[in-house]
Amino acid sequence: MKPWHAAFLTLLLLAGCKREQRQYRLDPAIAESLDRVEVLPVGINGRPPRVITITGDPYRTNAYQLSQGKRLYAGFNCQGCHADGGGGTGPALMNGWWRYGPDAVSIFLSIRDGRPNGMPAFRDRMTPEQIWQLTGYIQSLGATRASGAAPSRNDAMQTRPAENRAPAMSRLPSPYEGGP
Amino acid sequence: MTAALKDRDLRDTALEEKLLHARLAHTWRTPPGLIGFFTTVDHKRIAVRYIITAFAFLFLGGILAMLMRWQLSRPEAGLIGPDLYNQIFTIHGSTMMFLFAVPVMEAVGVLLVPLMLGTRNIAFPRLNAFSYWIYLAGGLVLWVAFVLDMGPDVGWFAYVPLSGPQYSPGKRVDIWAQMITFTEIAALAISVEIVVTVLKQRAPGMRLDRIPLFVWASFVTSLVVILAMPAIVLASTMLILDRLVGTHFYNPSEGGDALLWQHLFWFFGHPEVYIIFLPATGMISSMLPTFVRRPVFGYLALVLAMVSIGLLSFGLWVHHMFTTGLPRVGESFFTASSMAIAVPAGVQIFCWLATIWLGRPVWRVPFLFILAFFFTFVLGGLTGVMVASVPLDTQVHDTYFVVAHFHYVLVGGAVFPLLAAITYWFPKMTGRMMSERLGRWSVALLFLGFNFTFFPMHILGLQGMPRRIYTYQMDLPWGGMNLFVSLCSIALALGFALFAFNAIRSTRSGEAAGDNPWGAATLEWATSSPPPPYNFARIPVVSSANPIWDQGQSLPVASGLSVNRRELLVTTTADAEPEVRETSPGNSIWPFLSAIATTIMLVGSIFTPWAVVWGSIPVAIGLIGWFWPRGTPEDDS
Repeated sequence: MKPWHAAFLTLLLLAGCKREQRQYRLDPAIAESLDRVEVLPVGINGRPPRVITITGDPYRTNAYQLSQGKRLYAGFNCQGCHADGGGGTGPALMNGWWRYGPDAVSIFLSIRDGRPNGMPAFRDRMTPEQIWQLTGYIQSLGATRASGAAPSRNDAMQTRPAENRAPAMSRLPSPYEGGP
Repeated sequence: MTAALKDRDLRDTALEEKLLHARLAHTWRTPPGLIGFFTTVDHKRIAVRYIITAFAFLFLGGILAMLMRWQLSRPEAGLIGPDLYNQIFTIHGSTMMFLFAVPVMEAVGVLLVPLMLGTRNIAFPRLNAFSYWIYLAGGLVLWVAFVLDMGPDVGWFAYVPLSGPQYSPGKRVDIWAQMITFTEIAALAISVEIVVTVLKQRAPGMRLDRIPLFVWASFVTSLVVILAMPAIVLASTMLILDRLVGTHFYNPSEGGDALLWQHLFWFFGHPEVYIIFLPATGMISSMLPTFVRRPVFGYLALVLAMVSIGLLSFGLWVHHMFTTGLPRVGESFFTASSMAIAVPAGVQIFCWLATIWLGRPVWRVPFLFILAFFFTFVLGGLTGVMVASVPLDTQVHDTYFVVAHFHYVLVGGAVFPLLAAITYWFPKMTGRMMSERLGRWSVALLFLGFNFTFFPMHILGLQGMPRRIYTYQMDLPWGGMNLFVSLCSIALALGFALFAFNAIRSTRSGEAAGDNPWGAATLEWATSSPPPPYNFARIPVVSSANPIWDQGQSLPVASGLSVNRRELLVTTTADAEPEVRETSPGNSIWPFLSAIATTIMLVGSIFTPWAVVWGSIPVAIGLIGWFWPRGTPEDDS
C-alpha cells in the first residue's frame, strides 16, 4: 500500500507543482526584470530574461498563464490580422512557419517592438508580463502534441481545434511545400 | 469437531444456544489484522468506517470554514488571497455536501437498516465494501489536489461558463467533476443495497406498516438517489467532455446551452438536499418515541410525508435559478411547488410535536439535540418559504441571506439530528455510552454557537453582503457584524470539538451499555451492543411496529437457517412472509482491488480520454475476480 500511495502522490505533485499555480499580482522586481531581454544587434532574436528560467518557465507550462494569453489574444484584437491563428492580412501562427523564428524571445520581440510590414509595437499597451503570457499562448497555437496545460476551446464558434486537442497541424509542412 | 458440525447444511435447529453462537461467529467472522481490514463485508464495520471518514471530512471542512471566518472578521484582511479563498469555499462546500452530509447519512443507513430489519447483513455486501473504498478515493483526490494548490475554485455547484473550458484553465474543475463521479458511484451503490434490503430482507412479520420510520426514510432516500444521481452523472461527464475533448454541450455559440448545466445540476442538487434531510427526519421519528415513552404519533402520516417530500423534491429545482430570466409560468409553478414542500415538512413537525405533547419526555442528550433541531430547522424552513418567492429571491440571491438559510436547514435539519443519532446509537457501534455531561455541554455550545454565528448572516445578507467575496472595503457597514459572527463561530467549533472528544473518549472508557440502554422499541436493541458479526443468532419474528415494547425484550424467533454458511432469510415484499434462504457473500479482496482500478481509470481520465479505454481493462479484471462463481448452491426455497 505504502509505495503505491507514495507513487500516486509523487505523480500528483509533479502534475500540480507548477502547472496550476496562479499569481494575480506579480512581485514588482520580477515584473520589471521580465522586460530584460538581451536582444541581438539584428533585433530579430535574443536571450530570454533569467527570471523566466528561474521561475520555471511559467508562460509556456502554466495553464493559467496560457489562458490569460488567450484572453489577451482576443482583447488586443490579434484576430484582426492573424484570425484564430490561420492568418489573414497578417501571417498564420499555426502552420509551423515563423518569419523570425519559432522561439519565445523572437515572438516576444515581435509583439513588443513590432515588425516591418504592419505588425505594430505593443510596448506601450501591454506590460511585459502580459506580452510573455501572449507569447506563451501563441507558441501553443500550432501545437503538435496535446498538452494538459494548454487552454481548451472558447465558448464561441469554432474555427480550429482546441489548443489542448493537438495537433492543430497534422504534421509540420516540409520546406519544399512553400511557405508564406 | 464432530461430523455433524462439518455438514454444510447444518441448521440452527440442531444446535443448542452456546454452540450456535460459536458456529455463527465462526461462519460470519472477519479475519483479524490487515487482511480483515481490506476484505471485510460486515455492514457494521464498513458503516462505522464510513461514519469516521465522513466526520474526518466534516472536521477538515470545518477548518476551512474557520479560515474563511478569520479572513472575513475584519475588512481588507490579508490572511487569504482571492485565489486561495475561491479554492477554500469550493472545497468547503464540496466536502460538506459530497464527502460529509450524503455519505454520513447513507452510512448510518448501512449501519442501522439491517439491524432494524432483523437481518444478518446488508444486500450485496461486497458492493458495500466497494462503495466505501470509492468514496474514500474520491475524498482523497479532492483533498490532495487542494493541498497541492490545484483545488477547484468555482463554487460547489460549478456553474458554466465559469467552470467551462474558457474561464477555468488547468485541471482544477476536472478534479471537482471526477470527485463528483466518485461520490455518485458510492452513493448509488449504497442506495441499491438499501432498497433491496428493505424490500426483501425484513424480519418475518414486519409488514410494510411495521417498518421502523428510519428505515422508511432510508428507503425513500435511496429511491431519490437512484432517480437524482443520473442527472449529475450526465452533467459532470458532459462538463469533462467539454473541457477535455472540446465538445459543445454548454457552448451556446455552437448550439449548446449554458443554462443546461444549471437545470441538470439542480435536478440533482435539489433532491440532494432531501437526500440529506430525509434520513435526518427518519432518525428523529425513530429516536423520539424512546425519549417520550410512547409510540410515534401519526405513523402513516409520517410515512406519507416522507414519500411526498421524496416526490416533490424533483419538482422544485428551478427555484435555484429564479434570477436566470425564466418565463413567468415557470417562475410561478416553481414558487408554488417550493412552497408546497412546507406542507409535508409541516405534517412531520406537527406529528413530532404531538408525540412529545402526548408523551413523558426524558431529557437526555439525543432529545436535547432534537429540540435544538426543532428551533433551528423551523427557522431555516421559514426563510426557505421566503426565498421561494421570486421577488424576495431576486433581492437576496447570492447574498449572505441565502448562506444563512441553507446553513439553518442543513446544520439545523441534518447535523443536529445526526449528532443525536450518533449519541443514541453509539452503543450499537462501540458497546459503550457517550458521556451525558459532556454531551449536554456540546448541545449548548452547538446550539448557541450555531444560532449566534448564522443568524446575523440573515441581516448581513439583507444589508447586501454578497456570497463568495474574499474581503470587503472599510467603508461598508458589515465589519462589526462580521467580527461578531467570526467570534461566535469559535463557540460553534468548540461544540463540535467537544462532541468529537466525547466520542473518542467514550469509545475507550465510556460506561458499558447493555443490549437496550435507552429502553427503545425497535429491533436493533434486541441484540447485543455492539451486535455480533451475524447480528441475530436467530431471526426475530415481529408482530408490531414497536416489537420490544409490545412483545418483550426476548422476541419469538424463526429458525432453520444454516450455520455453516452465511445464510439469511428473504421475505415477501408486502407482508414479509418467509420465502427463501439466501446465501450472503463472504469476505473478499476483490471489491478493494476493483475500487483501486476504478480510481486509476477515473483519475487518468482527467488527463486523457484514452484512460477510459485502457483503464477499463483492469476494472474488468477486478469485476471478473469479484463475480467468479463459487460453485455452491445459491439459495433454497
